[in-house]
Amino acid sequence: MAAPQVHHLFHAPIADHSFSSDRQTLAVARENNVELYQSSGNKFALSDELKGHEKTVTSVDIAPNSGRIVTCSQDRNAYVWEQTPSGWKPTLVLLRINRAATFVRWSPSEQKFAVGSGARVIAVCYFEEENDWWISKHLKKPIRSTITTLAWHPNSVLLAAGSTDSHARVFSSFIKGIDTRPEPSAWGERLPFNTICGEFLNDSAGWIQGVSFSPSGNALAFTGHDSSVTVVYPSAPEQPPRAMLNISTRLLPLNSLIWNGENEIIAAGHDCEPFRFRGDESGWQLAGSLENKDGDGAGGAREESALNMFRQMDLKGQAQSNTKLKSTHQNTVNAVRVFQESNGQVSSFSTSGVDGRVVIWST
Amino acid sequence: MSQINYRTINIDQLDPESSVNFPMETLLPATLPQPGTSSEAANVATQVRQLLRGGDAEGALRAVLDTAPLGGDEGAKQVHLATVTEVLQGIRQGEMTRVLEGVCAGDGGAERADCLMKYLYKGMSSPAPGSGSQSPRNKSVSPQSTGGFSQIQGRNLGEGGGGQQMSVLLNWHEKLVEIAGTGSIVRVMTDRRTV
Repeated sequence: MAAPQVHHLFHAPIADHSFSSDRQTLAVARENNVELYQSSGNKFALSDELKGHEKTVTSVDIAPNSGRIVTCSQDRNAYVWEQTPSGWKPTLVLLRINRAATFVRWSPSEQKFAVGSGARVIAVCYFEEENDWWISKHLKKPIRSTITTLAWHPNSVLLAAGSTDSHARVFSSFIKGIDTRPEPSAWGERLPFNTICGEFLNDSAGWIQGVSFSPSGNALAFTGHDSSVTVVYPSAPEQPPRAMLNISTRLLPLNSLIWNGENEIIAAGHDCEPFRFRGDESGWQLAGSLENKDGDGAGGAREESALNMFRQMDLKGQAQSNTKLKSTHQNTVNAVRVFQESNGQVSSFSTSGVDGRVVIWST
Repeated sequence: MSQINYRTINIDQLDPESSVNFPMETLLPATLPQPGTSSEAANVATQVRQLLRGGDAEGALRAVLDTAPLGGDEGAKQVHLATVTEVLQGIRQGEMTRVLEGVCAGDGGAERADCLMKYLYKGMSSPAPGSGSQSPRNKSVSPQSTGGFSQIQGRNLGEGGGGQQMSVLLNWHEKLVEIAGTGSIVRVMTDRRTV
């Protein structure tokens, strides 16, 4: 396993990050702006800034094919950014929400995107040709609290959402004229807008921090604030799931997770390192950390400088700081995303966190 | 009109859509055991005391944690808390680590560790049984008690028996964090299955 590639971009939290499909451009949400980094050699250099939001940007996503960037922020707005010869041009999206927007993701078809919010709604947004703007339709019932995370099914109709009301739900976001009718699946056959295809609660009923569909879309995984990962295998529409497996761990809570094939999940969070889970319908286990913990963390070593050393000696009377973690990330990981995959098999993935680092890991 | 201080009006109570008026029962997982009553909790207490008297400290702690009334009423929970405290106080300091390692190992060990942590925090938040009639419970202070404990509460350190009980609980807390990790503290705060 190759050593993780660490990009220490700045000393500020990264709320979310996204790579373009050619992996040359990296978008990072930093405070009120989104920074674009361009790959040069084995480093990423700042190339552009998307300025427009008035409050903290909470989420960013680059559409793989069209290259359009969608961002959302605590100022209750979302923008779609398009590249023009004169630079990136934002288009405001009518979200119609009265609380912060928390999470945004393009659907795999790139015709729509979904924005989660603290207003207990998910705004499903699509482009209306006649009026030449992005408008939204709200998924409202039965959400009782802030949406923390979203994930799209490969068919671009089903949408999974995690919420602070402790439920992970699967909705239909079918929009006439935009979507083609999806194939019937175990989640549902007829899927008008706002159909609830599943509603799940784990044993301890903590907040849901991360959701993800398996590559086939026939299983859903979510992680809650109780440090557990729950995998759901649906049986048939309107029926209880075929299997619902809860993997409890003794870790700190996990924030984000991705699937690697149908039998592996990678998740990371407050323990600052990614963990691997393996299993199938008959059972899942924690298979261990992806971190190679020999010696100091690669990221930590970089930050060492003469200034730091003398500051430590001055402040604490010691030459070596012992606040350094052994992991590559030096603080909570906020987002785990697929970096490179083929047919659902992930060969590398990226993580970003509160420590201002983006790390690319090979699986 | 001028008599009303608008800042003191709890507007959340007037808004039916407000999250304060949220029915918390809808968040309880389906796997919750049947609610127990305080007399059942008292029966458990008798059995556990027998185990403790027989010198089987590990068995007593294991039994008392396995029978925690997660779905029970407040009465049952209070009785059970007293039992747990009794067991914890009945185990000598030198034996703590050995007993804990036994209890937290094996099938369901992680759940027992988390359950014990819940009791430690609940024990630290509630007045010691011996310290007499303390002013009304925290109900009136915080209108929406979100979990088993609240920070808005009079300190009960240094009140005779209370202080001693606190030091026992703190000792257990230290040992339990060594074994179960800091994650178990987070789970006390987020778990809706309160003890």
